[in-house]
Amino acid sequence: MNFVAILLTIGVLMIVTGCWCLLRTCHILKITIGIEIAMKAVTMFLVLAGMVCGKVALSETFVITVMVAEVIVAVVGTGTGVGLFRKYGNMNVRNLNQLKG
Amino acid sequence: MLAFGVYAVMERSILRSAIGLALASASLAVMLYAMSARLAAVFELSVCSGLVTVIFIAGISLSHSPKMEVKKEYHDRERNRHLPLVLIAVGGTLVAAAMVLHFAQPQFAASAGQNVRDVLWNTRQADLWGQIALILCGGVAVAVLFREERRDK
Repeated sequence: MNFVAILLTIGVLMIVTGCWCLLRTCHILKITIGIEIAMKAVTMFLVLAGMVCGKVALSETFVITVMVAEVIVAVVGTGTGVGLFRKYGNMNVRNLNQLKG
Repeated sequence: MLAFGVYAVMERSILRSAIGLALASASLAVMLYAMSARLAAVFELSVCSGLVTVIFIAGISLSHSPKMEVKKEYHDRERNRHLPLVLIAVGGTLVAAAMVLHFAQPQFAASAGQNVRDVLWNTRQADLWGQIALILCGGVAVAVLFREERRDK
């Protein structure tokens, strides 16, 4: 296995870790952390693809866009969590089932 | 990076999870720097490792709940105890598949010598408009989510 294959394997394992966190946790901040972990792997894959194609500069622009999306996901996830805590006193996502509308 | 990611998922304390995520971001930044993506590494270190951690810690401090209640309510350690086994199984399967099936292993190509600033401002200008739209959407979402309910007079 060469360096690219090792990084690909690590990235897939990161995505599995993030998806596991999404599936097995009820705490909304933990779920947001799981999404962030999976997005780290996506960032690494983008730069790796740029290096394999010889277009690192293009991949860096995509990475910057992904990072902006990452921050927005973190902000919205945290805001939803704080809203849940204010309403129900905990951050369990199952409480979202009780919302009207 | 993988170790810090697994630590962030398996840790019972949300604060330590956020710190684990920040360490995963920092190690990714080191990796990006080594892969000669310097601007992306700087952004990763400052934005994802710094700003996102601050956002999480602010959220945690706004919603402080006793540790024992968190432990009792979510059972994170029990729920995530099989994660290392799953990761070892998936990693072993991937390595075995790569060795048995003899996939073509990609190699690094020679760099085209483009400048990031030229690509960002000239070729991918639409991405910048998308980023601005995302930031505006995030601002509106925060304003809606953190809005105080009106008190009845």
